[in-house]
Amino acid sequence: MPNAMKSRRWRVAAGLALAGVIALAGGIYVRRDAGESATVNLRGSDAAALLGVALPDTKGREQSLGQWKGKVLVVNFWATWCAPCREEMPEFVKAQQDLGARGLQFVGIAVDQADKVAAFETELGLNYPSLVGGFGAAELSKTLGNRLGALPFTVIVDRSGHVAHTQLGPIKATDLRSIVGQLL
Amino acid sequence: MALIVASSVGAGVAGTEAAAPKLLEPERAFAFSVQAVDERTVEARFTIASGYYLYREKLKFSVEPTPLTAAPVLPAGKIKEDEFFGKVETYRGQIAVPLALASAEPGRKVTVRAESQGCADAGVCYPPQVQSVTVTLPLPGARPGAPVAAVPARKSWFN
Repeated sequence: MPNAMKSRRWRVAAGLALAGVIALAGGIYVRRDAGESATVNLRGSDAAALLGVALPDTKGREQSLGQWKGKVLVVNFWATWCAPCREEMPEFVKAQQDLGARGLQFVGIAVDQADKVAAFETELGLNYPSLVGGFGAAELSKTLGNRLGALPFTVIVDRSGHVAHTQLGPIKATDLRSIVGQLL
Repeated sequence: MALIVASSVGAGVAGTEAAAPKLLEPERAFAFSVQAVDERTVEARFTIASGYYLYREKLKFSVEPTPLTAAPVLPAGKIKEDEFFGKVETYRGQIAVPLALASAEPGRKVTVRAESQGCADAGVCYPPQVQSVTVTLPLPGARPGAPVAAVPARKSWFN
C-alpha cells in the first residue's frame, strides 16, 4: 500500500474517531442540559425496605407498611402543599372503594405535618390511611428511585412484595385501573 | 440510551415503568443569587426556569451574622385560586427582593439564606429547599458587588 494512501486512511480513521468523541460529548452535554430523567427504574426489585417502614398515621398510631403485604399496595407520596398531588387523590378514593374488596390497598405517605394531613383527610373523606412522614419522607421516596424527591410519587407493590410500577407525577385514572387490574 | 427514554408526565403504560419526566434539579429550576448593593443592603434574586413557579408565601429570607431590619417586602405574585388553601400567589420568571440589614457593615461577609418551595407545570412539586450565598458588603461609596449564584453555571460538559 502506498504510504500516501495509508496516511490518508489513518487521517480518515482519526477524523471519524474524533467526530465520534465530539458527538458523544455533545450528546452527553445536550442530555445533561435538558435535565436527566427524574426517576430511576426499580421495577421488579424487592420492596422489602419499603414494607419495613413504619410511620404514624394522623391519630399518632404507628403503622407498618408490612401489615398490607399480600395485597396490591399503592403507596402514594404526597403533601397538602402539592396541588397536583391533591388533584389525583379523589381517583384513589374511588379505586379504593371499587377494588378494596379484591385486595387493593392505597396508603398515602405525606411529606407534611400531621395537622395539615388530618385536615385534608377529613375534607376529602379519604378512605385509606395517610401516614405522616414529614420531610424525611421525601428522602424515603429517593431510595425508591425518585431522584429529586418531587411529588406526587407513587409506587405499586405486587402481592409478592415486588415493585410493579413507580411513577413521578399524577397517574391517569385509566392507567391506574389498568396496572392494578393486572396485579389483582 | 437515556435519550430514548420517553418524556411526558403521566404517560404510564400498564405493567411497564412510567415515562419519567425530565425535570431540572430544584436548585437549577429555582436559581438563587445575591448581589451586595451597598454596605447595608443586599438584593436576593430568583431566576425561575420556564415551566416552573415558586409560591410567594413559602419564600423566606434571613441574613447572618447581621440581621435584617424588618421582614422583607416580597413583590406581588400572580394570584391563583387553590381549592385547599384559597388564594395563593405564585412567581414566574425573575424576582428581586431587597434586604435591608440592621446595621451598615462595610467590608463584612454576610450569608443570605433563602427557603423556597415551587412546582413544575409538568405536574410535580418539589419539597422546600434552602439555598445560601455569601457576599461581601461593599465599602461606602464603592460600586455594588457582582451577583453571586448559589449554584454556579456548569463549568464543563461532564460535571
